[in-house]
This record gives sequence, structure tokens and C-alpha cells, in this order.
Amino acid sequence: MIELKQITKQYLGQAMPAVENLSLSIPEGEICVLVGPSGCGKSTILRMINRMIEPTSGTVTIKGEDVSSTDSDQLRMGIGYVIQQIGLLPHRTIAENIAIVPRLYKWPKERIAKRVDELIVMMGLDLEKTRGKYPSQLSGGQMQRVGVARAMAVDPPIMLMDEPFGAVDPIARNHLQDELLRLQKEIKKTIVFVTHDINEAIKMGDNIAIFDAGKLVQFGTPEEILTNPKNSFVENFIGHDRVVKKLNLYRADDAMQPVGCLVKESDLQSAGQRMKDAGTEVAFLLNEVGQRLGHLTFAEFEAGKGDLEGLRKKVLRTEKAFVQISTSLPDALSLLLEFDSDYLGILKGDELCGMLSFKDIRKHVYRKDGE
Amino acid sequence: MTLKDFLNFLNKNTETIIEYTGNHFTLVLSAVIISLVIWVPVGLLLTKSDKWAARVLGLANTIFCIPSLSMFAILVTIPAFGLGRKSALFALILYAMMPLIRSVYDGAKNVDRSVIEAARGMGMSTARILREILVPLGMPIIFAGFRVTVVMTTGIAAIATYIGERNLGRFISEGLIRSNTPMMVTGALIISVIAIGLDTILGLIEKSIVPKGLRINR
Repeated sequence: MIELKQITKQYLGQAMPAVENLSLSIPEGEICVLVGPSGCGKSTILRMINRMIEPTSGTVTIKGEDVSSTDSDQLRMGIGYVIQQIGLLPHRTIAENIAIVPRLYKWPKERIAKRVDELIVMMGLDLEKTRGKYPSQLSGGQMQRVGVARAMAVDPPIMLMDEPFGAVDPIARNHLQDELLRLQKEIKKTIVFVTHDINEAIKMGDNIAIFDAGKLVQFGTPEEILTNPKNSFVENFIGHDRVVKKLNLYRADDAMQPVGCLVKESDLQSAGQRMKDAGTEVAFLLNEVGQRLGHLTFAEFEAGKGDLEGLRKKVLRTEKAFVQISTSLPDALSLLLEFDSDYLGILKGDELCGMLSFKDIRKHVYRKDGE
Repeated sequence: MTLKDFLNFLNKNTETIIEYTGNHFTLVLSAVIISLVIWVPVGLLLTKSDKWAARVLGLANTIFCIPSLSMFAILVTIPAFGLGRKSALFALILYAMMPLIRSVYDGAKNVDRSVIEAARGMGMSTARILREILVPLGMPIIFAGFRVTVVMTTGIAAIATYIGERNLGRFISEGLIRSNTPMMVTGALIISVIAIGLDTILGLIEKSIVPKGLRINR
């Protein structure tokens, strides 16, 4: 989709080139994150795609067409552009701000009005309240939504986002990230996303390109980069919690195993035998009407064999140790530690569909490809 | 001087007063219009180059420092200008250079860089950015400079009487020479009223011209 070929950008009066001999192919319909410490050239690269900056040498092509042969204003009209400072026009209402690019395309008024309303709703903003407001009347998070809506106004196939959520507070940032990911599932744009935050890169990227001092160090999926960091720079940039970060890529259902043994409360004394028969280490206990009470390990059963009431109490201690299937692995891990429990029951809706232990998480993280 | 003397003077010289006021007005008006046509584009152009901005603003500042009487005297010695309206007009335009260029330049430069960056990134042309962003957003500062220019021009125009302009300044200079108090007061009063009146009107216009989004606070 977007092809950068041997791009070099040398600013006048600077010894080192800002970007050096970069070749990168950005696939269509995916989010490609450019990440690196400040001054690594990632914003420069982004801005060379829509010709806000011209490369010193090399070519940028979009769908096979060299961008330097196109009219720069026309080119930019067809590419969504979101910057950290947003840059809403303070003297224009929210509706007028979103309508800027449609107006450049000379859309008829009714079409513009319809599209603006559509986008305000899509961004989760209150249509009637927001449309006529001025930017200064919105919060940072709301303004950034308007910024994204404005960039999507004419439904461009490509969006360039330069640290789009860098200036909003962490809670709003999380929301905006989640919403962009949700939206991306429907709109499938080619998004080039610049950030200096490796966590944001891992969360947002289908692919991540890591830069250092104007050079591409590693390009790959988040999993590839977290599993096989190419060198010590990438390792340090990711941080020592690399493996914990990797957990972010997975959900509980990726690592869980099926429930081996379900036992009715009244059959508690035979739980040990049943676990043996099923070849499993843990049994989940249900009461007479089928409600989940908790779980009991084989070791716990053996230790407290004679004392049924004691066993029951042990089971009830894990009453809350159930999570939904969509829970991320770091959250699941945290809950395992919080409940001081060996297992978590995994729920799909209200149905018990699996279980997860420390061992399962470890096995999943270190599994070999294709397993 | 009594009030009666003053009213007497007004009565006897109504025609002259009207003529001088008219002359004063046309001089101020033409100076301001020509200044706007020349200096506003120059101010906008200067936002493109910091180097030229420093040079031109420096020059404008130097010109502004020359006392008006000296300026008129210098211009009169230039054969192409000589005594009269040409010199007066030229001097007023030179004086307007500093406040107008400065305010247009500051107004446009003051616009948030990120707004311009976003606009460029969306594919707005330079002309469109100028028209739809720089001018409306710079308007509060630009207009403040314009008000100063108008008031200042009204004042300096009076001094042009020394190089042959027949305007309200003449009442003051003649009145001083002849110790004619009603004459002096007439000139001083009308000039002041014109200056204050113009500034008030422009103040009202300024309020309506500042974009609504800039006036709103959360």
C-alpha cells in the first residue's frame, strides 16, 4: 500500500541525517506503528508520506504511485491526518471543523451535514450538544475525538496519526485507543501511527517498526518483536518486563485448558477419586442448583480428606476466582495473585468453559510457533 | 474667552470650519486606505521570512521615530513632493507603516502553529489558510493596530498644516500666532472629537468582527 524506498532526509546544518536509507513497506488495511525515542525520525517519516516534508532522496509511493508527482494539496486531501495538538480551528464550530475536507472536495451542503452528524455519533459524542459548540468548550479527550472524526470525514483509505493520544490523560487515552481499535475492525484503514510509548505500540500495532537515530532497527508483529528482540537497543526500549508486556497480546481463552472435572457439592467426598479418574489436578464444585461455588485442587483434597466442612470452606474461598473469556492475560495473572489461587475459572457469559493456571500462562508464553 | 466668544467664532466661520474639517477627513481617509492596501499585504508577506521581517520591522520602527515636523520638512525638500497634500499623504503613509505591519505580522504569527499544521495536512492551500485561518484568527491584534493607526493619523494630519494643508491644524497654528483663543479651541476640540469618535466607532466594529469562537470561554 505505502512503500518507502531508500528514503533519506538530511536537514540543512545537521551532521546526522534525520532518516537514513529507510525502506519500509506498510501493508494495506492494518495499523503500522512507528515507535522510538524522541528524535529518532519517526514523525519525519510520517510527514514524508503526505509531503509535509520532502525527502532528500528516495521515493514514497502510495498504491504504486510516486507521491512527488502528485499535487501536494490534492494528496493531503485524500489522506487523513491527526496530530497530537489536534489543531482544531478555534473560530469554527465542531461541525464546521469536521466539514473542512468535505468542503475542499466541494461536497453539496446536505451531504456534508449528513456526514458530519454521522461522524459525531460514530465518535460517541452527543450530536445535539456537540455540533454547534466551539473547540474551547470541549475537554481534551472530546477534542481528540473531533480530530479523528475530522480526519475520517471523506473516508480516506489512509490515515496518518502523529502521537494522536499523547496529550490526553491516561484514562481518556485508554478509551480512545480501545475505540480506535474497535472502529478499525469495521473501517479497515491503512493507519500509520507514531508514538514514543512502546505499550501503546504493542496495543495498537498490527506491525511495529522500531527506530533509533533515523534508522529502522526492527520491523515485525508485536509478538515477533517481544519474542525475539533483534538487539539490546530493542530489548532496552521494550523494558525488562518484556514478557509481561507480551501477555498483553493474549486473552484468557488463548491460554486456558478445558475443565477436567465438575463435582456436585453433595459428592464432595468423592472429589478425589473423580479427579484421579479424569486425570486432572483440580475440580470445580457446583451446588444442587448448578451454581458455581469454587474449586478444589487434588492436593488440598488429600490434605483435608476427613474434614468435609473444612474442604467446603476451602472451596468457598475461591468463590470469586472466575473471569470472562475476553480478560487479558495480565489481568488474569493479577487476579490469580489477588485471590492467592492456583486456578481461575474462565466464563463465557455465564457458562464455565475453561480454566487457567500459572502453568498454563507460562506454557502459552513459551509455546513454540505452530503449537 | 467666554462661551459667547467661542460661539461667535463658530457662527462667523462656519464655512471655513466645514472646509477645514472636510480637508482633514479626506486626508486621513485617503492616508488610511492607501496604508491598508500597501501595509497589510506586506505584513502578511513578512510572516514567510523571519529575516525580512526583522529588516522591514526595523525600518518601520526607525521611520516611526522621526518627529513629524522633521518628516514633513524633509519631504518638502524633495522636488517630487514639495509643499502640500503629496508630502502630507506620503508622511502619513510612512507613519502608518509601523503600527499596521507590526500588528498584521504579530496577528498572523500569533496563530497557533498546530492549527496551521493541521490545515496544511488536510490539504488547505496557502491562500485558503490565509483567508480562512490567519486573517480571522489574527483579527483582534490586527484591528487593535488599525485603531491606533487611525487615531494617530488624525493627530499627525493636523501638523501637516505647516506644509500647506488647509485643515483643522490651521486653526491651532493660526490661533497660536494671533493669540486667538476661540480659534485654537475650535481646532483642538474638533480634532479631538474626530479622533475619539473614530476610535469609538472602530471599537464597536472590533467587537462584531472578532470570531465568535474566540470570545467564548468554557
